[in-house]
Amino acid sequence: MKLLAATAVAAVALACCSVVRAYQRTADFGFDDSEQRQAQKAEFVWSRLAYTSRSGGNGYGWGWGRAAWSRDYPKADRQLLVAMKRLTRIEGRPYEQVVDLDSDAIFEYPWVYAVQVQAWTFSDAEAKRLRDYLNKGGFLMVDDFHGTQDWEDFMEGMRQVLPDRPVEDLQSGDEIFHVLYDMDDRIQVPGEHYIRTHRTYEKDGFTPKWRAIRDDKGRIMVAICHNMHLGDAWEWADDPDYPEKFAAQAFRVGLNYIVYGMTH
Amino acid sequence: MFEFFFKYPYTAFARGRLILLSSWPRWMLVLAIVLGAVGLAGLIWFQWSTAAPKLKSWRSAVIWVLQAAMLMVLLLLLWEPALNVAELRSQQNIIAVLVDDSHSMAQTDAGNQQTREQAAVAALKNGVLDGLKQRFQTRLYHIGASVGEVDNPDKLQSAGRSTHLSDGMRQFLAQTQDLPIGAIVLMSDGAENASGSDEGGGGVDIAALDALRNRHLPVHTIGFGSETAEHDVEMEGVSVAARALASSRMVATVRFHQRGFSRQKAMLTVRESGKALAGHEITLPANGETRTDTLYFDAGDAGAKDFEFSISPMLGEPNVINNSLSRMVNVSGDKRRILFVEGEPRWEFKFIRRAADDDPQLQMVSMLRTTENKVYRQGISDPSELAEGFPTRPEDLFGYSGIIIGSVESGYFTPSQQELLREFVDRRGGGVLFLGGRFSLADGGWNSSGASDLIPTFLPKTKETFHRDPAYPLLTQVGADSPVTRLADDAAVNSARWKKLPYTADYQDAGSPKPGATVLLEMSDTHRKMPMLVTEPYGRGRTALMATAGTWRWQMSMPVGDGSHDQFWRQLLRYVAAESPGPVTASVPAQTLLDEGHVVLSATVRDKQYQPSPDADVMARIVGPDGTSSMMQLAAVPGEAGSFRTEWTADKPGSYAIEVTGSRAGEVLGSDIVTLERKDGIAENFHTEQNRELLERLSNSTGGRYWRPSELSTLPRDISYSEAGISVRDTKPLWDMPINYLLLLGLVSAQWLLRRKWGVV
Repeated sequence: MKLLAATAVAAVALACCSVVRAYQRTADFGFDDSEQRQAQKAEFVWSRLAYTSRSGGNGYGWGWGRAAWSRDYPKADRQLLVAMKRLTRIEGRPYEQVVDLDSDAIFEYPWVYAVQVQAWTFSDAEAKRLRDYLNKGGFLMVDDFHGTQDWEDFMEGMRQVLPDRPVEDLQSGDEIFHVLYDMDDRIQVPGEHYIRTHRTYEKDGFTPKWRAIRDDKGRIMVAICHNMHLGDAWEWADDPDYPEKFAAQAFRVGLNYIVYGMTH
Repeated sequence: MFEFFFKYPYTAFARGRLILLSSWPRWMLVLAIVLGAVGLAGLIWFQWSTAAPKLKSWRSAVIWVLQAAMLMVLLLLLWEPALNVAELRSQQNIIAVLVDDSHSMAQTDAGNQQTREQAAVAALKNGVLDGLKQRFQTRLYHIGASVGEVDNPDKLQSAGRSTHLSDGMRQFLAQTQDLPIGAIVLMSDGAENASGSDEGGGGVDIAALDALRNRHLPVHTIGFGSETAEHDVEMEGVSVAARALASSRMVATVRFHQRGFSRQKAMLTVRESGKALAGHEITLPANGETRTDTLYFDAGDAGAKDFEFSISPMLGEPNVINNSLSRMVNVSGDKRRILFVEGEPRWEFKFIRRAADDDPQLQMVSMLRTTENKVYRQGISDPSELAEGFPTRPEDLFGYSGIIIGSVESGYFTPSQQELLREFVDRRGGGVLFLGGRFSLADGGWNSSGASDLIPTFLPKTKETFHRDPAYPLLTQVGADSPVTRLADDAAVNSARWKKLPYTADYQDAGSPKPGATVLLEMSDTHRKMPMLVTEPYGRGRTALMATAGTWRWQMSMPVGDGSHDQFWRQLLRYVAAESPGPVTASVPAQTLLDEGHVVLSATVRDKQYQPSPDADVMARIVGPDGTSSMMQLAAVPGEAGSFRTEWTADKPGSYAIEVTGSRAGEVLGSDIVTLERKDGIAENFHTEQNRELLERLSNSTGGRYWRPSELSTLPRDISYSEAGISVRDTKPLWDMPINYLLLLGLVSAQWLLRRKWGVV
């Protein structure tokens, strides 16, 4: 009987947590979602890559919440855009843009952000489109995947896109860490689980990996943020329990990567 | 025939003066003519009532005119008309016979068995020389690359490589200034290569003509050679830049004409070291018509390049050497530094930078305002470069060859920086490109800035001219021929590629082009056309305006491998920066010398602020074809601050490299390299048709006459009418010229015939 009661309490608590979490993910956080705002024309449009994940989800509705690509969406995106507006001269649209690889629409957005990339999968046509995008000058930032197995899964997709390009570790002196903010000293940025666990890593991703794939001229075309969760840091930056030092670095990295993508 | 009617040759009348020998005054002749005419009119009037009816009309007036004319001729003869003409004294004067011995005289024209030289020698031996010797002393000279006396016509050989009539005449006059030369007989085809260039000198220069006139020497010219070739294609000229950056897209304008191959097809090709760089099929124009065509080609790697432009030889064309022309181009491997000032991070900035990255001759240095207080610098040569922002000193700014002004308000620059920007173009000779953007052009307040003169359009007076809406690029007619907007050599392919380009992400209304500006691209939104790319020369430099910041879509939307975006931007950036001169610029009138080596070497020297440096020490180091080098000093040109000049002769065929260095107080201001090539044995294969126009102009302007070889029998006698040498003025009566009596007879006969016709005899 006690076990049944405990299970019921746990189920109720889990349901409450899920509702709260769902609310957090879908509520109006003070952003203006008007059509006029969404249609605003600007130089920079934050675009998030939607892909078919290994679990099969990439759509909207119920799948919207479940699909791997939409982790932290849209609050993380919008909070970073707020920071970008305040801290740079980039004229950015305050409303994010979801792009996929089913059409050429991605070519309208030379900077794209992807998360949970251990889950991404591509058809041959999608891989070619992403390869063309990068070869033409597009910039891809990937984030929020952790540990050895995630890396292998990520690389499986990446090798489909850029089979011959090596991945290299970025050094502190690399231009991408100085284009806007000097970021010689970097720390591992954890997800919001840090509030509860005080653990900066997930899975076996103990060390943050700042990596990149470059083009023939040495310009970064894919910026890889492995073993860290910058998106969560942007999203939870307004949570008083989330340490400012993680959020501050996450914003700096995001802005540096945007400025780098617009200058190289 | 002329002499039969007029008693004396035409030359006597041409060179003589008409006088009246009678002691009666001339006014009396006029009075007598008037009175006689009036008297005849009175007589007709007096007999009017008794005249035949048919004569009571206009017929009486005709009779009166004929009678008055007859009376006038009779009265004129009474006053004893005569010709006063200077005539050379027999055997006291020298007639100089100048025979052109240039290579072109060795040609055998179609239908002739002899060469032009042989025809001239034959004419001399078959009467001309003997005829002249009966009246005068004669001296025989050859004239070509030089002048010299020849004692026997058989020793004349068409060995001269080129014809220099002006130089030859001056040399001849200098050699014979103490001799009683009575007249000159010039036997030539009129080919003139005095400029040393393949495009010919255009005739005898004014100095040579003045020298002839001062000595009152008539030049009688005898023309040899066909006046029109039967079958020939000739390259008239090639216009191409004398210097270029490595891998530049070059444009050559080629002029040519032909005879005998009208409307036939041929290949126009440009080669370098025998390798074809570009070419296309052409249709030859009508006989004698000059046609212009354009060739686009790549300048290739750095070095002194000898580009050969040629039209393929036609079947049965005897002279194919004149189908080709060469041009030396100094292809520089120097980098041009371009300063890109951008007021906000933009995609256009990134993609222009990437286009420049692919050009080894361009180095993009940029300063980008990433935040209100941060400027991100790229491409700097050392940490101090642009550390203080946009340069404030000429020597700092003038180190760049071009400047791009992106989305930056004019107010970002101080008034003195705006003036410096203007002087960058005007004085330094740099190029400035303005881009569209939120803070650009009218929206950035540039129409009221100190640098507004630089903008090649009249900007709109209103704000909010920048729109993030699509605009389609449209190639203008001028743009179709411009190397800036040339995406393919073939005009049709080029046009098709522009039509394929997608719309730009934005556009800006740049107003209307200023006078002198050139619109290479237009754009259309949904309503109207506007200028998109406008260029304009300004001072020593050039400016351009690209009224959009959305061409990055051309890169992102076109298929991978389509290089339209990058190619366009590299060409535009090269337009902006490639021709910006250094502090020292050297030049020669022609970089290809044909059969002569005289060179005027000029240089302009400026200091680091690009002010003329008249007190500079300017030296030229000349490296000849055999590798030997020599040094020459250039002297300052009076009245032209910073200009220096010297003359020199390239005495051997081959390529020459001349490095001119300017220094002041031991400090080197700069240097420049100019290359040239001397080619021998080429010039006389051009302009091979007889240049009758030149020969006639020479004889007419000196009082001589142009002769055909078939008319030479009267030359020895006609030539005696000259004021040069030892001459006397002779008076030759004209009253007994047969023409006088024939005229009187004619007038009487005409009256009689008319009266018979009218039935009133």
